[in-house]
Amino acid sequence: MSSQLPILLFLVPFVTAVAMPILCAKRRSWCQPLTTGAVSVMVVLSIINLRVVLSEGPIEYAFGGWGAPLGIAWLDDPLAAVMALAMTAVALLSLIYGRVVVPSNLDRSVPYYTLILLFTAALIGIVFAADLFNVFVFLEVAALTGYALVGAGGGKALVYAFRYLLLGSFGATLYLLGVSYLYAAVGTLNMVDLAARLPELMTSTAVVTGLVFVFLGLSIKMALIPLHGWLPGAYANAPQSVAPLLASTITKVSLVVWVRIEFSIIAPGVEVSHIPVLVLLEDIGALVAVIGGALALVQTNIKRMFAYGGIGHIGLILIGVSLGNSTALTGGLFYLINDAVMQATLFMVAGAVLHYHGAHSLDDLKGVSSRSPWLTGALVVVAVSMVGLPPTGGFFGKWNIVLGALEAQHYLAVFAVLVSTLLTLGYFLRLFSCWFHQPATIESEQLEVAVPLRVSLGLASVAMIVLGFMSDSIVRVLFDSLTSGGS
Amino acid sequence: MTKMSPMDELIQALIQRPNFGVFVILFLWGIYIMAVHPNYVKKLIGLYIVQTSVVFFLVAFSAKDGATVPVISAEMASLEPLVSANPLPHALTVTAIVVQVATLGVSLALVSAIYRKYGSLDEDEVLKRVG
Repeated sequence: MSSQLPILLFLVPFVTAVAMPILCAKRRSWCQPLTTGAVSVMVVLSIINLRVVLSEGPIEYAFGGWGAPLGIAWLDDPLAAVMALAMTAVALLSLIYGRVVVPSNLDRSVPYYTLILLFTAALIGIVFAADLFNVFVFLEVAALTGYALVGAGGGKALVYAFRYLLLGSFGATLYLLGVSYLYAAVGTLNMVDLAARLPELMTSTAVVTGLVFVFLGLSIKMALIPLHGWLPGAYANAPQSVAPLLASTITKVSLVVWVRIEFSIIAPGVEVSHIPVLVLLEDIGALVAVIGGALALVQTNIKRMFAYGGIGHIGLILIGVSLGNSTALTGGLFYLINDAVMQATLFMVAGAVLHYHGAHSLDDLKGVSSRSPWLTGALVVVAVSMVGLPPTGGFFGKWNIVLGALEAQHYLAVFAVLVSTLLTLGYFLRLFSCWFHQPATIESEQLEVAVPLRVSLGLASVAMIVLGFMSDSIVRVLFDSLTSGGS
Repeated sequence: MTKMSPMDELIQALIQRPNFGVFVILFLWGIYIMAVHPNYVKKLIGLYIVQTSVVFFLVAFSAKDGATVPVISAEMASLEPLVSANPLPHALTVTAIVVQVATLGVSLALVSAIYRKYGSLDEDEVLKRVG
């Protein structure tokens, strides 16, 4: 039974999504509870899955009983299990939160909840898929549902959804081209096989070109500067109930895919025509971290500020996973999980502020603090975590990245992490100076903050602190899974 | 044999494998259309050409002259790799085409929604109306 866990995790949202139009056509009010129920089941299943994987080792799931080289295989290792739990958990948080701010035309809409379920199912697929082409298919399922969810906002969101679609599909096409180059050169798509055969082929032009195309395609998906053009507009205009879900998942899983490829194929010190690949990636990460932070500092729109902050943090994670030692790698992956929770919280706060106070830009925020204590509390916790102060998870992630950079003696990376931290501090100070600004006439009456919002904000804040306290064990799990040879 | 310059090598490779030349032309042409035309539908056509060129590339490198269906019958001990086609790239091609069709469906839905809302398909015009 336990060996069927990965496919169960996928089938629960998928079957619910397919059944939704039949079950809920006459009873529109069932959509929301049904979706929340399915995602809750997923969270429970991924907790069980994580326990099973940790105690019994990785599960290799072969579809239809056909093994890896011929059939389609999924790999359920500790990294995948941890990521699955993180993704389902943020999806559940965003759904609980979504009950409060969902626009009235989507509240009882069958297609909307079907799309959310398909999106979560695709995330599970990306996390578990063990071959490059499977990843492509699930990336596209996630992306297509993502475009539709952004477009569900109507109006301006349609234009930004279309821009996202053009860039996203182009990125997926580049990824497919890279995969076909790799297949032509190596003759396999399975990641384990590729990892065994590719390192000796790193001198081949086809392999290097293929890897470059794969990286370019994925960097559009993870919004790596300068390929981030679609992200701020799409997230700022997406329906408020969708923005936390998208912001916390899609860029992160694309990065996880790249980490799997990079970790199993590119050994430290590999050079292509005298350019050390990992150092190059790390420098890209450093640039992205600094530029993303700087762009966030100059924004006046709250959601755009958070979007650029998230883009900068992708750079931080890329530094961590490219330093070539396990301290930084586990630090980067741990930070990635934290970043998923932080982005979800940031967009929940931004959406709630817009919903209750009608605040789009920083200037509209004056006097919010006295009226919304729950929002203020969550914002303070997430700010502490984003800047990277103990005891939140953000601190331990950054700490491990910096330790790894010192170990590898890459002082540029240390410098970039520090500058990005200062920039993060900068834009949160800007935000707080407006947030805690007391207007002349103090309206003391508190705005009624709905219970689901309190629950989701509270859970997210607790999660960020718990991640900090549990950082040791999570880092050890990731460390063991990476050093034991399982990719 | 005298050593050829890189340019000559490239030209020779293109003459020997015209398929790949066609792929490169289609790919770049699609990108050009996507980047230059302000009309949303034309941008979509550009995207579709780029996607199709990649599918064409997959088919082109997996084509085998005079190959047959890769099915093992009862009399055969094993499959002869030289005379049977590799089924995998074709399976990938079909899947990639399905993904393209889905993308096209979603994108046309978005375009028609934009047209209903803003009454134009021209990007500059729509951006002006969005404000």
